[in-house]
Amino acid sequence: MKNHQNYDVVIVGSGISGSIVAYQLGLQGKKVLILEAGQAVPVDRSGYMETFFKANAKTPESPYPPTTQNPSASTPDNPLGLPDPANENVPRHTVLQVGAWRKPKQAYFTYPPQEEGLNGDSPKANFAFASSYERIGGGTTWHWLGTSLRLFPNDFELKTLYNQGVDWPGGKNFYQALVPYYEKATNEIGVAGDKDALDTLYEQFGVSQTGEYGPEYDYPMPGITESLVDQAFSASVMPLKVDGIPLYVTPTPQGRNSLPGERRQCAGNTNCIPICPIQAKYDATVTLARAQQTGNVDVLYRHVACNIRVDENTADIIGIDFLTYDTHTGIQTGSGTATGKIYVLAAHAIETPKLLLMSNKNKKCSDGVANSSGQVGRNLMDHVMYLSWALAKEPVYAFRGPLSTAGIESLRDGEFRKDRSAYRIEIGNEGWQWAANDPFTTLADFVFGQDNSQLNGNAVNQQNQPLRWDPKLPANSQLFGQQLVAALNGIYTRQIRLGFLIEQLPDPENRVELSKTEKDHLGLPRPLVTYRIPEDYVRNAFVSAKEVSTKIYNAMGATEYTKAPPAPVFYDTPDKVTATNFQYQGNNFTFYGAGHIVGTYRMGTRSDNSVLNSRQQSWDHRNLYMVGSGVFPTVATGNPTLTIAALAFQAADNILLDLAGITF
Amino acid sequence: MSDNSIEKNMDNFIGLSAVLTGFSTEIIAPGLDVVDIKSEYLPFFTKTVTEESGDANLVNNILQEFASLKNSGLSDQQIGEAMLSLSNGDQFVLACRKLIFMWYSGAWPTIIPATEDKPASTVSNLISAKSYTAGLAWQVMQSHPMGDSNYRYGYWATPPPHSVPTQVKEHNDEKSSEL
Repeated sequence: MKNHQNYDVVIVGSGISGSIVAYQLGLQGKKVLILEAGQAVPVDRSGYMETFFKANAKTPESPYPPTTQNPSASTPDNPLGLPDPANENVPRHTVLQVGAWRKPKQAYFTYPPQEEGLNGDSPKANFAFASSYERIGGGTTWHWLGTSLRLFPNDFELKTLYNQGVDWPGGKNFYQALVPYYEKATNEIGVAGDKDALDTLYEQFGVSQTGEYGPEYDYPMPGITESLVDQAFSASVMPLKVDGIPLYVTPTPQGRNSLPGERRQCAGNTNCIPICPIQAKYDATVTLARAQQTGNVDVLYRHVACNIRVDENTADIIGIDFLTYDTHTGIQTGSGTATGKIYVLAAHAIETPKLLLMSNKNKKCSDGVANSSGQVGRNLMDHVMYLSWALAKEPVYAFRGPLSTAGIESLRDGEFRKDRSAYRIEIGNEGWQWAANDPFTTLADFVFGQDNSQLNGNAVNQQNQPLRWDPKLPANSQLFGQQLVAALNGIYTRQIRLGFLIEQLPDPENRVELSKTEKDHLGLPRPLVTYRIPEDYVRNAFVSAKEVSTKIYNAMGATEYTKAPPAPVFYDTPDKVTATNFQYQGNNFTFYGAGHIVGTYRMGTRSDNSVLNSRQQSWDHRNLYMVGSGVFPTVATGNPTLTIAALAFQAADNILLDLAGITF
Repeated sequence: MSDNSIEKNMDNFIGLSAVLTGFSTEIIAPGLDVVDIKSEYLPFFTKTVTEESGDANLVNNILQEFASLKNSGLSDQQIGEAMLSLSNGDQFVLACRKLIFMWYSGAWPTIIPATEDKPASTVSNLISAKSYTAGLAWQVMQSHPMGDSNYRYGYWATPPPHSVPTQVKEHNDEKSSEL
């Protein structure tokens, strides 16, 4: 039994929010302990790169431990060789597990059974959760994209303005209070941003009269150069309007170096997800190192928080119990308790509620810690993504530059938000890699005479245009030599794709609970996840996204290749059931995850319907804070990381105030 | 096998690979070959094709057939067509096609035959970390392996200055590696 005492603050999790809180407190001379469940930040990233290079499926989690796939363990039932989460000390959900969601020996999450007799378009259909996270030093920013957009003020008042979802506590006032923290977050990440373009965008959506953080403000680094793909979209979308709103392309503010600095200048590895090989992209190991350099922050790796202790008289938190291990599948090596004055949970939006729910041995907290509202684990959300892809008329040279350098932001707010979800549109620079697993799918098609890309057969698209790449070649051609070079070059250089990040609504039934049957190797319960997209409001946005994609590709003179997914299968063997397919208004859709896991310990104005107050402090336990995207009342319309970082800075200030006046 | 015949084997392997991929021998196996992926591919190809086909002579037959076609003075196009002709037998042609896939992707393919509800498809296993970055697919798209760029900041804002480097250019300054 090891005990770690005399800290001012104990933090669970070393990702971006835990690291920012630790850094800010360490700067003020507070003694901080971070408990991190995963492995230490490596001395360099070559080991992760090696794992990435060797991985057959280059999913967001593929470089990181514990391993996500093992070809030598491949069996007919488990072709990718996914490890059994019951054998792992810190398993996590991965994208490869989405297709295996009904196989508990391959998938960390468990799911409730599908209700009997549902149709393909039933709002009651359960789906696999499509987004993932990491459990390692530095957390999930290892595999984030780097998008550093602010949310719009109207995102904070969805209920007031559009009678949907909920407001953030205080609505626009909350937003106003967050502005200085947005500035701190932008500076900490070292965002590269095009000031003029972002001033235009942010003025249009009421972010401020003077654009950003005042007329004098400029970003830490100049904006990242736009790609040829961006330029092609930019030139074509200008005359288009959707729901009366003109479209235009905005260069994305990004957490990657446009100039050499403390880290290297971006070299366009087109690999921000899964891993930037040269750390041109910011990740939380940067802030974690700054925190440690204050001399006041200790980090304990391979320390898995497993229980929160509560004083039954005062309801104050009095310690966090942890288990230790050495190797991913080895035995538990120890246990102990960490104590401080204030506790901060920063373990992302799945593991944080899991920890709260696991802590059910305290008197008066039999439903878990901080859960008098019953809201812990509820309102799980993501940006559900609609993906579309096409071939441009002329080469745009995909597969070059960062994965995404621009987007269409103008549809993130408007009157339409009464009737359907808003979305932002991300422009991809990675061709059909995400959309169709290229370059490999098209390659196999033209080498072996297959047609999974639709480029080498008789397929027509939904506008009835023939899709065969070269009408002079027969269907199912098998090419070699110069003819193969010419076909592949013509195709790869023209590939484009759009991703629509659709705002999901908070639904208390979408939730993380504890599995009653499945455990990890430390004996801790695994998550039981209920995940649905019940609202027509959200599904309407898929219909809109489909129409808008086609409209944009037509305006560009591009040929759309978006493949309608097969109809959903809810009742069959685990191999045959679909994971993320649904029907709506006669269309078959599939949704993808954006990696934006939010909502499971939300802030609110009342203790009976939220977990935290607007200070990110537990309603139930005054010395317990939670940070990270779990605090978001809504998923809103921008990628969450900048807001996560801003909220962490704000929480750190609140904690410092509490420590200054502490009476307990 | 004598040193001489091993070398010959490699020459035929490289020659065949060049004809089938459309990239010249100087590109896929340059004189000064730091990556030296060919030395990984030939033994892998030999072992795997032999295992999959159950025919211990198949790889040798393929390389000998290539050598005799090459000696008869045919063009690359004619040699490729002859090598991939169905008259050589299914196993022979499939091995040649898999050779193309290997050079382009760095991975070894397995073809999943069509079923009632799914068309034929291909899955593949990467041969090594090195083979992933050596894949010709990245060259043919005029880019770099994802995660292994040798280019400089901002290169993505302008078209690649050179076409696909299937042949070694006469002037050094035209090499696409000098972007």
